Amino acid sequence: MLSMDLFTIIPMYFDPGLGAMIVQAVVATAAGILLFSKNALYKVKLFFGLAKKEEDSYDSIDIEEEDTDKNETTH
Amino acid sequence: MKQPTSNAHEASFRDPSGYIFHDGDTLRRVINPIYFPQYNQLKDSGFYNTLMNKGLLIPHEETSVSEEKIIITPEPIPFITNPYEWSFEQFKHAALLTLQIQKYALSKGFILKDASAYNVTFHKGKAVFIDTLSFDFYQEGTPWRAYKQFITHFFGPLVLAKFHGTEILKMLQTHIDGLPVKLIASLLPGKSKLSSTLYTNIHLLAKMESKHSEDYKAETKVARLSKKAQDNVLTNLFDYIKKLNLKEASEWGNYYEKTNYDDQAFEAKKELIRKWVLPMKIDKLIDVGGNDGTFARTVLSEVNDVIVTDIDSNAVGYNYHQVQKNGEQNMLPFVCDVLQPAPGIGFNNTERNSLLDRLSQYAPDVTLALALIHHITLSGNVPFEKSAEFFAKFSRHLIIEFPKREDSWVTSLLVRKREFINHFDFYNEAEFEKGFATYFEVEKKVVIEGTHRVLYHFKNKTLN
Repeated sequence: MLSMDLFTIIPMYFDPGLGAMIVQAVVATAAGILLFSKNALYKVKLFFGLAKKEEDSYDSIDIEEEDTDKNETTH
Repeated sequence: MKQPTSNAHEASFRDPSGYIFHDGDTLRRVINPIYFPQYNQLKDSGFYNTLMNKGLLIPHEETSVSEEKIIITPEPIPFITNPYEWSFEQFKHAALLTLQIQKYALSKGFILKDASAYNVTFHKGKAVFIDTLSFDFYQEGTPWRAYKQFITHFFGPLVLAKFHGTEILKMLQTHIDGLPVKLIASLLPGKSKLSSTLYTNIHLLAKMESKHSEDYKAETKVARLSKKAQDNVLTNLFDYIKKLNLKEASEWGNYYEKTNYDDQAFEAKKELIRKWVLPMKIDKLIDVGGNDGTFARTVLSEVNDVIVTDIDSNAVGYNYHQVQKNGEQNMLPFVCDVLQPAPGIGFNNTERNSLLDRLSQYAPDVTLALALIHHITLSGNVPFEKSAEFFAKFSRHLIIEFPKREDSWVTSLLVRKREFINHFDFYNEAEFEKGFATYFEVEKKVVIEGTHRVLYHFKNKTLN
């Protein structure tokens, strides 16, 4: 059974909240729809030349890896 | 090396993977064998290195390796700020950093096993993740176990701050494990249910949590969640938080428009501070009630580490904005109300140190207290000797500005006392000097040109 597996594999170091584990499926679906529609809207705007590049001081959620060296160790 | 257990840091006992301890003045981290597989994989795969090179994770060096324990030594952080001391913008950055790291971890087969706001602090002008052992292996198809923690520590407080202002962020001080989801949901306006992000991440979560709160035997089946689905949750939260703004946000800038003296006097004060501070060749400085950091910045290039506190979260936010814009690495702004500095909180009241503990540990060479004492004395009704006691706990040298009764700010504060105005007859230079004489001796004293303000340089008699 998945639930038992989950709780035995991962040490119960704090209670993740069962409701919180279940709800993520719904949260993900809503997020998926939202992201999909935003993306679609952006493409439509891009097609009509209406898309603006967003200016903000925040990084993207994705961490770029190209300029890091995996072989360089710290010790 | 000293026996680590007796010097274990009070903030790290919750995690069985390891703990932090004081080795003399150095903080080191012990990793227990239970965490060896994770640690080795994180190290060998280059995961740690990527995050450290990007400045997202505090760099560490491996100090020793044995069968019983691995010891790593992280780069020292001069001063730790806690979430309830951050401005809105800092809080946002800490939240975004956590999401970035979780998304990256997921792509590399790891997860953040917890999403506590205390895993992040500010160092070298940026939010940095400091809990090196917060990672675990990702089990295919499992939801994010730290998701609820992210909501209660970050997302909930940020969303509430949007609706109710930054005072909400101070609630973290009474809720070390984050704000209860139910409370967050109840404090949100009804219209928040119309937002699919707020509805699902907060209202629905609160509902599900109370529905499943009695599942003592962990019998209910936990849904599976694909990696892609989890990515969507993270990206959506990231996008939402990025766009969060304060309703109350005042216009940034010109915090000094309200001052009662002209440009010349303003410059004279800056010049005096440079003239007094620079010859001391100091390492660390704190500006208490330092607003947006204008005066601390006059010596920033010549002092290794500067912290600036203010009661006004927006001023701190503006200061942080400048830190980012100018790429300043040695300036740390945070929110502090001198009349109620952050207490020690958590288990044994020691998990998170009180502000005064942290300040006396930090041991600034110089404390600046400009345009502050009249507020402490007249708004807070604090006698001079009590203020002196406060500053004496951590300041070696205290540069403090005393606005006289003729100063328009002081006059206004006094007038507001109405029939009690006579109770404040003690507010004068002589009494001020007398009150501070218990702890300090006067080194210098100068009237700031063009003002009714006196600048004092005090030396602490009680600290070496």
